Amino acid sequence: MHRRTVEDRVVDTVNTGLLLLMALVTMYPFYYLIIISFNNGLDSSLGGIYFWPRAFTLSNYEKFLSDPKWLMAFGVSGLRTVVGAAITIFFTCLTAYGLAYRNLVFQKVYFSFFIIAMYTSGGLIPYYVVLRSLGLLNTFWVYVVPGAVTIFFLVIAVSFFREIPPEMEESARIDGASDLTIFFRMILPVSKPLIAAMGLFVGVGQWNAWMDSAYFVNKDGLRTLTYRMMEVINQGMMPTDLATAERAAAITGVTTFSIQVTAMVIAVVPILLVYPFLQKYFVQGIMIGSVKG
Amino acid sequence: MAELTKATVAERAKPLRAAKRSIWREIVKQKYAHLFVLTGMLIVFVFNYLPMFGILMAFKNYSITSGIKGIFTSEWVGLKYFKEFVGAYNFDLIVTNTLAISLLKLVFTFPVPILLAIMFNEVRLQFFKRFTQTVSYFPHFISWIVVSGLLVIFLSSNSGIVNDLLKSLGLVDNALPFLSSPNYFWGLAVSTAMWKEAGWWAIIFLAAISGLNPALYDAAEMDGAGRLRRIWHITLPGIRGTIVVVLILAVGSLLGGGLVGSNFEQSYLLGNAMNNERSEILQTYAFKMGLAQGRYAYATAIDLLQSIIAVILVFGSNYLSKKITKNSLF
Repeated sequence: MHRRTVEDRVVDTVNTGLLLLMALVTMYPFYYLIIISFNNGLDSSLGGIYFWPRAFTLSNYEKFLSDPKWLMAFGVSGLRTVVGAAITIFFTCLTAYGLAYRNLVFQKVYFSFFIIAMYTSGGLIPYYVVLRSLGLLNTFWVYVVPGAVTIFFLVIAVSFFREIPPEMEESARIDGASDLTIFFRMILPVSKPLIAAMGLFVGVGQWNAWMDSAYFVNKDGLRTLTYRMMEVINQGMMPTDLATAERAAAITGVTTFSIQVTAMVIAVVPILLVYPFLQKYFVQGIMIGSVKG
Repeated sequence: MAELTKATVAERAKPLRAAKRSIWREIVKQKYAHLFVLTGMLIVFVFNYLPMFGILMAFKNYSITSGIKGIFTSEWVGLKYFKEFVGAYNFDLIVTNTLAISLLKLVFTFPVPILLAIMFNEVRLQFFKRFTQTVSYFPHFISWIVVSGLLVIFLSSNSGIVNDLLKSLGLVDNALPFLSSPNYFWGLAVSTAMWKEAGWWAIIFLAAISGLNPALYDAAEMDGAGRLRRIWHITLPGIRGTIVVVLILAVGSLLGGGLVGSNFEQSYLLGNAMNNERSEILQTYAFKMGLAQGRYAYATAIDLLQSIIAVILVFGSNYLSKKITKNSLF
């Protein structure tokens, strides 16, 4: 039986206090976004709202959903998340299955090819030149194709496939199944945990991505939610004429600021929803990632 | 005699040829596996290897209209762009900012995840431990766009909460211009990166701590060591290997911001005309020169300079750590 000493009590109290403070500092900004998104924009600009909406309204969300610019951006972000995750899962698993093939000739050579690529990069400008030459600039594909084979996940997928008992494949082969059939009918269905984990991480990455929309795309219809938020942030840092913005908002009570906050909430909520599932997978992920660099 | 030699040669060649033939047979048998791998290699070649050839641009008079072929066909100009950058009026400023932000991040953010992991480990209520830890790494999954949006909202000088708080506590009379004055940028970069990533990196240290033998703690307690001494003499030495490996990684990616990264995101999103003298770094400058002004070759040279420094840092820190602590990555 442990006896709690004075030191124990002091350590526990200080520790608990500091961790609570950390949790508060981490969570409060998101809480604040939520209350502001439910508050009248004009009222918010007066300040002084800390714990609860003062002038509750849904008009920020109504405005968001009726503004084609924001709605379109939301759609593009959603589409790239789904399509991007699907493409990455498919091509990464396909390559990984090949690499994990037993007694594969040239396996070492193949592996080094991918590992070298993981540690080296040509930098932004040459990358841009390649995308430009391929005609990917200003297309939706620039969001989802370049990451089709993600080497970090490739390494994880190879080790996953190697864990699948070989007897499964062998019996299928005796029944006359080809590797193609085995991959689609047998390997993919038993790899659901792998696919789920990859889908979540690639999806979050796609949802949060903004650099490609800022650099490689110059079309209104292809702007992502992150890009639209960036536009507002850039305006927000400059000293602007608040009076004009407020006059425009007088009727609806929706200001640029309040709609930006609403967009931020909409950008965070999907991540919050998948967070418990993400958690399930990433502890192993970060371990592998750190060891491999 | 001659006949005999020929026969011997043929005899000897047999297994070799047979081996070759069987490799071929093997490949044909594995044809789909090879096809799968080659598909992946093609994609990686296009998006990872092809840009590497593009580094040649740094030494060439490259024009964007000549496409990929132009990388090879354009004329050599040697170190022209490197010399131009070193001679640029803002060279010192950019290099100072890059190094200062990176070093400040290393010094101030590296110990935080270790400390946080130890704090989580000292919590006795499992529920409270899991709750605080879960909260701590949530910001890791949030885009820098949203985080900079939060900063603009919280630090604004007319209705930002931080300034409200400072004023009501009587710490300042006038709102502090966090985002529009160069003086705050470095501190802002370090503290926000810490806010976003400390919880995430604490996971790996916590995993290392939970791998330690509990008997060590019991023995130390028996010998009369208190909580703090147990942390100092058991926990910290126990995770030394992990700390060194993570430190090497952090130094290797120093110019990107180390563990917490995000040097580019911060300077790009929070940098503006007013705080430029403290926020401009190599990466943002290369970006502006390249994609905004169309000086592709010049920008590539600046990028390359940064990569060279990064490679030196990786090997240097690995070498030092091998010498000093006997731990190394390679």
